[in-house]
Amino acid sequence: MNKKCLGLLLVLLVTSTAGMFAQRATSLRINEVLITNETNFQDDYGVHSPWIEIFNTSYASVDLKGCFLTNDKNNPKKYPIPKGDVLTLISPRQHALFWADDKPQRGTFHINFTLDPTVDNYIALYDSNGETLIDEVTIPANTLGVDQSYARVTDGGDEWEVRGNNGKYVTPSTNNVTLDKNEKIEKFKEHDASGVGMSITAMSVVFVALILLYICFKIVGNVSMRLMRKKEMEAKGVTSITEAKDKKLGRTSGEVFAAIAMALHEMQNDVHDVEETVLTISKVKRTYSPWSSKIYTLRQTPIRKR
Amino acid sequence: MGDFLNLIADNMQTFWSYTGFANATPGHFIMILVGIFFIYLAISKEFEPMLLIPIGFGILIGNIPFNMEAGLQVGIYEQGSVLNILYQGVTSGWYPPLIFLGIGAMTDFSALISNPKLLLIGAAAQFGIFGAYMIALAMGFEPNQAGAIGIIGGADGPTAIFLSSKLAPNLMGAIAVSAYSYMALVPVIQPPIMRLLTTKKERVMRMRPPRAVSHTEKVIFPIAGLLLTCFLVPSGLPLLGMLFFGNLLKESGVTRRLAETARGPLIDTITILLGVTVGASTQASEFLTVNSVKIFLLGALSFIIATASGVLFVKIFNLILSKKNRINPLIGNAGVSAVPDSARISQILGLEYDPTNYLLMHAMGPNVAGVIGSAVAAGVLLGFLN
Repeated sequence: MNKKCLGLLLVLLVTSTAGMFAQRATSLRINEVLITNETNFQDDYGVHSPWIEIFNTSYASVDLKGCFLTNDKNNPKKYPIPKGDVLTLISPRQHALFWADDKPQRGTFHINFTLDPTVDNYIALYDSNGETLIDEVTIPANTLGVDQSYARVTDGGDEWEVRGNNGKYVTPSTNNVTLDKNEKIEKFKEHDASGVGMSITAMSVVFVALILLYICFKIVGNVSMRLMRKKEMEAKGVTSITEAKDKKLGRTSGEVFAAIAMALHEMQNDVHDVEETVLTISKVKRTYSPWSSKIYTLRQTPIRKR
Repeated sequence: MGDFLNLIADNMQTFWSYTGFANATPGHFIMILVGIFFIYLAISKEFEPMLLIPIGFGILIGNIPFNMEAGLQVGIYEQGSVLNILYQGVTSGWYPPLIFLGIGAMTDFSALISNPKLLLIGAAAQFGIFGAYMIALAMGFEPNQAGAIGIIGGADGPTAIFLSSKLAPNLMGAIAVSAYSYMALVPVIQPPIMRLLTTKKERVMRMRPPRAVSHTEKVIFPIAGLLLTCFLVPSGLPLLGMLFFGNLLKESGVTRRLAETARGPLIDTITILLGVTVGASTQASEFLTVNSVKIFLLGALSFIIATASGVLFVKIFNLILSKKNRINPLIGNAGVSAVPDSARISQILGLEYDPTNYLLMHAMGPNVAGVIGSAVAAGVLLGFLN
């Protein structure tokens, strides 16, 4: 009983912890920042404000609610992203855009600080506990001109670059690299038009996977056969391995093969007894389980109240 | 009175425009004939009835003509219709892993565990997939489409559906029907190739009987199988994970009820839904295209290549095996993972040449190895081409 309780407790612990990790926002990244906004993207009030783009790098939806945005290393909880707004849920590989206009009364996505191009701008995103740093970036002073952004080269990637007015587009709320084709497929079309490369690679992987299984079960099989022989030697009082080999201990007996062959022969030739016409009653031992007990599934007889 | 008669006439006209007769095209009748042919094959010839009956009837359901502009929400491609909702299991790819769960729970891997070298035959038969892949590329298909078509050669319906739903959803109907059709036609396709590639002496070759496999080995197999294959090809996880999980339910010996559900009511339910919806997805307007014809052609080729490569691999493999460990090339075809049909073909053909030579147990080894091999191949294709 104690073991059962302990097992149940462990399962509950593992599942609840797994759930906690699944909901964490660690896959979010600060993806692009624009400080001096004169003609770039407008907010929902028609105002050009600095903005910060957050990107969900995972292939699952992540909710930003309860996380914190800050520009102050000593105050990680500066802007708590409000709970109760469905728009804080970011779909897989999608973005959320925050307006750094110091007007949080304008809505969830308007934060309580702004950005200044003449000083170093530190921006950080903290998890809902206010302690776990998810991502941070510092944009050096005077790095960005008007309508220029500081962006990751690829969404969620490690490298940053300055964009705007230099042939590279500023991309608020959209991918930093526009995906207009599947690079993998293009690569195959260019370098492996006949498919030989793919076939060799894939067949090698298939063979390696099954060879690994082969090696594994060759070893497991040998160990198992030795153990079986050892057990049979003990049972039959044989001590010499040579004698055990001679007597073919640990191997399936000829009677077993004969029975299998007979069964196959009967199946193949429809040789069968007249069982269909014989009623066979065999007692089946059923272990009691409350899951299968009919007593719990029966409806109680209604009692007429007078 | 005149207005009333006009109303009746209008009603009749509207009614007529909604009927199948008014909306029928030659394509619908062709597909209905195909559906009836599938049902005929299933009942009369007993070719994979569990698959061909649901698919055949699904083809009939999917090809009842109706007014597609009326917004009746009856067609499988109309969002929100009952058929469309059931079809989600195919398009989002969750029916196939559940089928694999059931397959795992009903498969006995003993033959494979007792003679693990048979695994390599299962690997060799996957040449069918990549042979068809190369031919599909030569025929002008995109690499992702060619990969989805090639998997027909794996002879594994759920795998074909799973991969095509990810790589080429627009070709899924044709690929699924092609895969299941050729799986049903294994008794027709394989024997001539097997006879062609083997000598009479090879066909009567007797194999060493398999050894008894312990319970521990059977329990280790799904765990080791999952870890070894999925660490190598994580993209095969949905299929391989469920296959080995189902097998552990069976072999653990302590989850009898779960195993029985997986290999009984669960797989039956999913097979019914999968078969009917795949059949219904062959709506003539979407299905009758030149590409579908090409896919059927490529499907046949992939089965032929897979069978031939399995048989030839055994012949080559025998060159390096000791005499007592040699393998009868007639079980090479069983690497094509149409379980258990291709293994049954080995048995029948073996008995034809030697009525006392039972190859079924031996053939089940490469047969189930083929299931693993095709799932690994699907994982590789998914990883490269998605």
